[in-house]
Amino acid sequence: MQLLTDLLAWFADPANWTGRDAIPERFLEHVLISAGAMLIGLAIALPLALYIGHTGRGAFLAISLTNIGRALPSYALLVILFGVFVQATSNLTVLTNGPTLLAMVALAIPPIITNTYVGLRDVDRDLVEVANGLGMRGAQVLRRVEIPLALPVILTGVRIAAVQVVATAALGAVIGGGGLGRYIVQGMARFDMPRLLAGALMIAGLALVVELSLAWLQRRTVSPAVAPEQRPVADWRSPAAPRV
Amino acid sequence: MRSIRMLALGASLLVLASACSTGGGSPSPVDNPTPDAQTVRIGSAGFVESALIAEIYAQVLEAHGYTIDRQLQIGPRDVTFPALASGQLDMMPEYIGSTLEFVVRLDADPPGEATNDTQQTLTRLRERVAGRGLTVLGPTEAQDFDAFAMRPSSAQELGISKMSDLAAHATELTWGVPSECATNPLCAGQLEDPYGIDFDSLTLIELGACGGEVAAALGSSDEGAVDIGLMCSTQAEIARFGLVVLEDDQGVTPAQNIAPIFLTEWLDAAGGAEAMAAILDPVSAALSTEELTELNARVGIDQEDFAVVAGDWLAEEGLLP
Repeated sequence: MQLLTDLLAWFADPANWTGRDAIPERFLEHVLISAGAMLIGLAIALPLALYIGHTGRGAFLAISLTNIGRALPSYALLVILFGVFVQATSNLTVLTNGPTLLAMVALAIPPIITNTYVGLRDVDRDLVEVANGLGMRGAQVLRRVEIPLALPVILTGVRIAAVQVVATAALGAVIGGGGLGRYIVQGMARFDMPRLLAGALMIAGLALVVELSLAWLQRRTVSPAVAPEQRPVADWRSPAAPRV
Repeated sequence: MRSIRMLALGASLLVLASACSTGGGSPSPVDNPTPDAQTVRIGSAGFVESALIAEIYAQVLEAHGYTIDRQLQIGPRDVTFPALASGQLDMMPEYIGSTLEFVVRLDADPPGEATNDTQQTLTRLRERVAGRGLTVLGPTEAQDFDAFAMRPSSAQELGISKMSDLAAHATELTWGVPSECATNPLCAGQLEDPYGIDFDSLTLIELGACGGEVAAALGSSDEGAVDIGLMCSTQAEIARFGLVVLEDDQGVTPAQNIAPIFLTEWLDAAGGAEAMAAILDPVSAALSTEELTELNARVGIDQEDFAVVAGDWLAEEGLLP
């Protein structure tokens, strides 16, 4: 109970909203690192995964690489990258946030590639044949048939990656990086439990917001014809007419 | 029937477990510690130097016929001190300055009792812990205190060689300090007074004290991101990277000799403090700052096992009976 009171007092304390380690700045840092990592991850993973999903070529290599990426502990990667960056840069911001960004890109890529590949491969081959029969070329098939059909699975992969990145970006604080993880590291070092708890709660809250936002986005962009669970259930008030 | 079998299995396992946990070395003919106090539970803090020193004391006591129960690399003082004071450990090697300030904080008294005078700090520590059932034996010659070290190029460029030189240039430098510095009177507090540095105005990166990361950041190329960092004075990386340790010219750094702190109850059962001091004081006296730094280098840079390094040093110094 005391901890809860201290926690609320921590958020109410104006000293935590200004100066060094101000909440708005750390929050923004965390969002920027996560968003940056996701954008770079998508830029790398999506084209690659769309290619191997559509053609079926090079899948073994790509999937193996992503599995290795999944097994890589982010913390170890961070420390290694720090050692590299320390020799390479004299800019403090780059030194503290560069390794975190790269480690988060490495974390974001596997779920995106895996889900995109599986989603595309799962598209009914008959439909692809029909599209070919209608005269569509490869890229058209991909754009107008395969991607819309695979979209739920692809977007789920993006959602998984985003939530993982937001949650794990906290690790950057261990090598002196920014973001909301700073509060956790400082809380541990100073035995300041309210600070630690506040950091953890903010990260969890942000991850939840990202998950819910992307889920909403998924519902809005995926065609109802593709995702039957989004169709309204028939009841006595309206006949069940499938929307096309 | 099944429950009886389970009971029998459990009972026999219990007997087996208790049989395995007893047993240890037989007392040597040289010293004959009392049977009650034949075993010493020695702890250490969560970093290698502390474990190394604990191992040195442990091996000396083993050579004198004691059985050692090693509980090394437990964690920070907030964990180890209560463990010792409550009787879960029999001995901890501790840094007298930091421990004194720690106990002062526990007693809810104002900080600043540890001075850079070893004898004064030791006396004050002994007074404070006596009421907690602890006895502090003789300290090492060696001290390992927190010291600010600079990248050599930055130090030369700005002409900084001692702490008082920093105030004029503090905001031009990038500082590598641990997260706890901001709230630690021995860290941010001492920078402000007497060295006149406004901690809140500094550009800093929070890296663990005495850690490899801050050392690597300081030891990187001449144009690296971090200019000054908090190091431990016996840390191997200081010599390795040629870092410039800034002199504490105002003399505020507390004395940080290492001394074995015993549970008084255990000492009384084991033959008294004088008998134990007779064994351990010569060992402490032989460990100088230079020797400790060298041992740290063997462990930290040459990657040798600290138990082996401890044993080698004891043999070289002729401290084993």
